[in-house]
Amino acid sequence: MRRTYLGEFEEIVLLMVAILDGQAYGVTVSQEIEQHTGRLVTFGTVHNTLIRLEEKGFVKSELGGATAERGGRRKRLFRVTALGSRALQDIQQLRNELWQLVPPNTLKLSGL
Amino acid sequence: MNPANQPPRNRTSGPPRWAKRLLRWLHPANTLEEVEGDLDELYAYWYERAGEPQASLRYLLNVLSVMPPFVRRRQQVNPYPQPSSFHPDMIRSYVKIALRNLWRSKGYAAVNVVGLSVAFCICLFLFLVAYRQLTFDSFHKDGDRIFQTYLFANDPERVSRTGGMPLPLTPALKAEFPEVETAARVMSGRLSLVEYRGKFFDKMVVQTDPDFLTLFSFPLIKGSPDVALRDLSSIVVSETMAKTVFGNEDPVGKYLLIGTESNKKQYIVSGIIADSPDNSSVRYDALVRIETTPNYQNDKENWHANSHRTFIKIVPEADQAAVEARLKPFAQKYFAGTIQDLLKKGAKPDDRGDVFAIRLQKLANVHFDRDVSDGKGAPIALIYVLIGIGVFILSIASINFINMSIARSFTRAKEVGVRKSLGALKNQLFVQIWSESTFICFIGFVVGIILTCLLLGTFNTTFQAKFTLSYAFQPGFIAWMAGVFLVVTLVAGGYPAWQMARFNAVEVLKGKVSLKKPGLVRNALIVTQFAMSSLLACCTIIAIQQVDHMRRQPVGFDKEQVISLPVGNQANGRQVLGRLRNKLANDPTVLAVTGTSINLGKGKDRVTSRSTFGFTYKGKQIATDWLLVDYDYLKTLNMKLLAGRDFDPAYAADSINRVVVTESLAKLINARQPVGAFIRDDSDTTGTKSEIIGVVPDFKLYSVADEARPIAMHLSNREDIHYIFVRVAPQSLAQSMDKIKQIWREVAPQAEFLGSFLDENVDGWYQNEESMSQIFSLAASIAMLLSCLGLFAIALLVIEQRTKEIGIRKVMGASVASIIIVLSRDFVKLVMIALAIAIPLAWFGMQKWLDNYAERITISIWIFLAVGLVSILVALATVSFHSVKAALMNPVKSLRSE
Repeated sequence: MRRTYLGEFEEIVLLMVAILDGQAYGVTVSQEIEQHTGRLVTFGTVHNTLIRLEEKGFVKSELGGATAERGGRRKRLFRVTALGSRALQDIQQLRNELWQLVPPNTLKLSGL
Repeated sequence: MNPANQPPRNRTSGPPRWAKRLLRWLHPANTLEEVEGDLDELYAYWYERAGEPQASLRYLLNVLSVMPPFVRRRQQVNPYPQPSSFHPDMIRSYVKIALRNLWRSKGYAAVNVVGLSVAFCICLFLFLVAYRQLTFDSFHKDGDRIFQTYLFANDPERVSRTGGMPLPLTPALKAEFPEVETAARVMSGRLSLVEYRGKFFDKMVVQTDPDFLTLFSFPLIKGSPDVALRDLSSIVVSETMAKTVFGNEDPVGKYLLIGTESNKKQYIVSGIIADSPDNSSVRYDALVRIETTPNYQNDKENWHANSHRTFIKIVPEADQAAVEARLKPFAQKYFAGTIQDLLKKGAKPDDRGDVFAIRLQKLANVHFDRDVSDGKGAPIALIYVLIGIGVFILSIASINFINMSIARSFTRAKEVGVRKSLGALKNQLFVQIWSESTFICFIGFVVGIILTCLLLGTFNTTFQAKFTLSYAFQPGFIAWMAGVFLVVTLVAGGYPAWQMARFNAVEVLKGKVSLKKPGLVRNALIVTQFAMSSLLACCTIIAIQQVDHMRRQPVGFDKEQVISLPVGNQANGRQVLGRLRNKLANDPTVLAVTGTSINLGKGKDRVTSRSTFGFTYKGKQIATDWLLVDYDYLKTLNMKLLAGRDFDPAYAADSINRVVVTESLAKLINARQPVGAFIRDDSDTTGTKSEIIGVVPDFKLYSVADEARPIAMHLSNREDIHYIFVRVAPQSLAQSMDKIKQIWREVAPQAEFLGSFLDENVDGWYQNEESMSQIFSLAASIAMLLSCLGLFAIALLVIEQRTKEIGIRKVMGASVASIIIVLSRDFVKLVMIALAIAIPLAWFGMQKWLDNYAERITISIWIFLAVGLVSILVALATVSFHSVKAALMNPVKSLRSE
């Protein structure tokens, strides 16, 4: 199995892009992260991660049309590529497999 | 936050302005748009949720997070393929455009090629000369540790530095100085007669020490440096000499006889050494031990007979200053008498605290130090002058190139504009235009090299040089010339190309860029050009005047109608002289015949030697030239006696110890009545003394630059006569030469006939100055020519651009003359500025040069006025060639074009 290297934050950003389905750009991604995880992240972090993900080929981007609300400035909209979704699925699968291996009692005990 | 406490802020005012500016300034350009938009949107979102201060704060924080060094840069992905500038299609396009351009501007290209090739040709010659001189003695291994010793004396009459050393000095040096690794005495003078199996050769046999072979890096081809000169009867011969004397035989072990009748000596060849290179200060055909010289036994403990040069190699740890410091006590120990005499004369210590000292000259500098190298070297200033002239001429040609390229660049501005709007990058344009100019430079360079090859013969005869093409193909020289070429292309081609590549495409295509205003750069360059050429012109005229002035200086003897005949070593001078006297006794066209040991001027055998006599006369140190002559010397050279009489065969004692002296020597002796006074050394107890029988005016013996020189003429039978002078009747110079040539075969069959006229020989004394003034005049005329060539082309361009103006002026009623004045005025102004720069420089430089001469001209202001006037006239004439044509043009033609 080919290993996909995705950091924790990268994984979250990639998931957000997948969730937003075509509406993902800097603002929406950071807002979603804030809302869903409660983490306050700087815009720079998101921006850098998106660029990195694009360099790795997990997302692709294009400039959207100009809208009046941001002073006519275009958005860069991100989409998950086939490689990206494959990577997410791999991770999901790996996690599921690992979950299966956890003995049923351990987690309950430690959870107490 | 309570919105009521906040003044209602305009939502559109948005985040803090300065933060935004910071973002725009520092954020990478290719992601600025989206990031700025995103941040604005986020600001609005924060503002809605948390109010202005919170929003501003978060905005600021986030701006910081997208600043370098935190921000990641998005890689630029170019959607269009970027073909390389070396794509075959691009190159084809470049070549096509280049050829079209060249074809359209054939005239300018020709001017450039001619200018550059002439300049390159001249430079090649000058740099060749300079390179040869500067690499003198550079081939020795450890050359930086080799020095020649010289004696310095701070004589109040004349500070003297001389390379002549006494024989005991070198052994003493080696014994007392551990830092002297090796030391060799080098004695060379006249050619010696070498005999091998009945064949005779004139060769330069140098007397030296065995250390010679290890001190210098002349490679031994046969034999070992340790033993080759171990025996007093060993001789090491050069490769060439081995070939000429022994042919194909193996010379090692063969016997050679060296010397003339009385002191012939036999030597065994013990080794073969490579020829001394052309650029070596030490020249030889063969080496023998210095102990074999005739006077060695007499002089080996004499610290006052200076006869040879000494070279030392010091150990790597020692340095020159330290050794010189250690030489001070050494000099005081062995030259105490000399120092006493100097002090008595009132000599003061110089700035290094010495009245008299033994000092060291670096081997690399020996060639340029005429005092130390017996006047054989070249003054280093002359070398720099040559390089300077070469650089001048090259820069004049380069300036032409730059000026024309810039002037013409505006006609090509459209091409640049179109190329730029089609996506050409600045670098591509630069390389394109630059390589076009490099191509022209290259053609100029190649033509220059061809010219050099063709003119090499002429050059060699004019400057008595022996350059061959192979000489120019040394790696060092090739590197030098390649460097020159590179600099020229970089400067001459690079600057205009850079200018053109900078054109703003939009302005060019709108037609806004034009050459309405003459560039400051162009004017500055024209000024530089003319300043250089008028500088050279002034220097030339002054140099020629000085040479003329020196020629007119009286030499002290009548040099006309005298034939000088070098006897050479293969015949006995006295015998030849006797036979010649007999043959010519009854010839009415021969007025007088005499013999001497020293030729006057530079004869065909190019040999000079010198014999001096130093003595203490009534407590005063006197040094005089000791000149061997024969009867009728004064008559042959038309010297007038001031007092006393000439040598006369009637007095037997004349040929033993009587002398005729020059006025200067008579003055030095300070006798009220010089005739009848005796010259003798105070310390000499043997009673040898010479009676003065006559006094003649001072005359020049070695150079015209000689100042009044004490000379004593004597008739000793013990010394050999080397030259015969014959005075012939004025009407029959050429015939006499032929006749003497005939007779020469009878009287001296074994010696080559090398007769020449004395006045030609004396001209050889001015050879350096003559060569220099020739180089100067050549350089000055070429510089002037090139400058005018450039001005010619520039004037054409400028006037072409002003056709319409001229048409309008004519329509408004301007006369032809006034138009010519308007057109020429600008150029004349430039030339005048150039003159204002050049003349003071020329005056200053030539004053310095003239200070070297005892007899010198005063620089007249008229020279500068004349040069100035001529420069202006020449510039005017050049410009008027076009301006007259422009002024005469029918205005209808020039104005109708629109």
